[in-house]
Amino acid sequence: MSEWSSVLAGLLDGLTMTLRLVAASIPLGLLLGAATALARAYGPLPARAVAAAYQSAFRGVPLVVQLFILYYVLPRWGLTLSPFAAAVAAFALCSGAYHSEYIRSAILSISPGQMEAARALGMPRLAAVRSIILPQAARKAVPGCGNEIVYLVKYSSLAYLVTLVDLAGAGRLQAYASFRFFEVFLVVGLIYLAMVAVVRACLLLLQRHWRRSTAAIRA
Amino acid sequence: MSEIARFTLFLLDGAGTTLLVLAGALGAGFLLGIPIGILHVFGPWPVRLVLRGLDLVLRGFPAIVLLFLFYFGLGSVEGVDLSSLQAAILALGLRSAAYQGRLVRGAIGMVEPGQLEAARSLGMPLVTAVRLIVLPQAIRCALPGFANEYAVVLKDTALAFTVGVVEMMSRAKFLAASTRQLTLVYLLVAVVYWALTQAGLLVFSATERRTRIPGLGTDLRRVR
Repeated sequence: MSEWSSVLAGLLDGLTMTLRLVAASIPLGLLLGAATALARAYGPLPARAVAAAYQSAFRGVPLVVQLFILYYVLPRWGLTLSPFAAAVAAFALCSGAYHSEYIRSAILSISPGQMEAARALGMPRLAAVRSIILPQAARKAVPGCGNEIVYLVKYSSLAYLVTLVDLAGAGRLQAYASFRFFEVFLVVGLIYLAMVAVVRACLLLLQRHWRRSTAAIRA
Repeated sequence: MSEIARFTLFLLDGAGTTLLVLAGALGAGFLLGIPIGILHVFGPWPVRLVLRGLDLVLRGFPAIVLLFLFYFGLGSVEGVDLSSLQAAILALGLRSAAYQGRLVRGAIGMVEPGQLEAARSLGMPLVTAVRLIVLPQAIRCALPGFANEYAVVLKDTALAFTVGVVEMMSRAKFLAASTRQLTLVYLLVAVVYWALTQAGLLVFSATERRTRIPGLGTDLRRVR
């Protein structure tokens, strides 16, 4: 019994680290994704090319490799990141590359007539994007981006590879300390499952809220 | 020989194992995923319930936790003796089976239900109708999803080194540590993974074009 209480205490510390990582990477990833999507949809040619290269590179290379480059390679070039900063940067960069694709296709799915109408009424382009295109695109991008956030929660478990003691890392430590490998990793997995369930519930609430407000406008 | 060439050859030596894990996991995932997808749709409710439970665990656990569970967890069970390669293929394969099962389920849903009704009303047994009428169309609908699955599983094989599989990533780590050429090694391994991803996606899109049936709409993928 006391053995399990120390295991659970260890896992709880790891969970705190995982939550901090996820809380920092989700908004950064979304911001990066939105910026990239806007660059690809409205930017000049060089910006579009850079955005497309970023998407391809970060979606085609395993997250571990990205993490190792940020944590082990960058210091060679004079930029030393703490393990936490490296992990957040890797998660946000990778996640942003995926978010951008969902946001971009949401932007493209909005009829170009809306932009033309706004411009014809004298609205500046930036204002039209901000107050007409983006609010609609955000609603359409929720399922894709929501899935990506679920992925981010699960892949945050790679943080232990750069010495952070997150939930997966704490699981390893506790498994070795207690020699209960199967049980400990099962509990760790169930905690991730619970986090995923919470994220999914929040997304459903957001979707329902937005559907209701749209219905009110239409009515 | 230049350093780049030597390092690349050393990494490519490990690419064999990477591709072995990839083929094993994707193959097992496909062989299990098809019946799982069919049972998701046509199975009796107790089977569907069990599948839902398995699905929840296999898709809800992070890949790395599944790897640990199969290698360290099952390894500590009396009488079970899995090598790290077997454990990695098993963990990633079952995970992929869950994803591919959902993919197949969605693809079956894209096939016009009237076709199955017509076959049944002509007296065709359900199993035959699913095999000859629904599946050939569903698999085509699922192809973009399978392509995506290839890219996801390829990148997940880079985690197999955490349970001791000597594949490309573990070779990169070894090379980086022994030569201290971290920049070159990690950029090279990134390029090789990127090239493998793109090459595989090309093969899938060629398959999609060759097996296309005009008029049959396709777009289904495991998001990401």
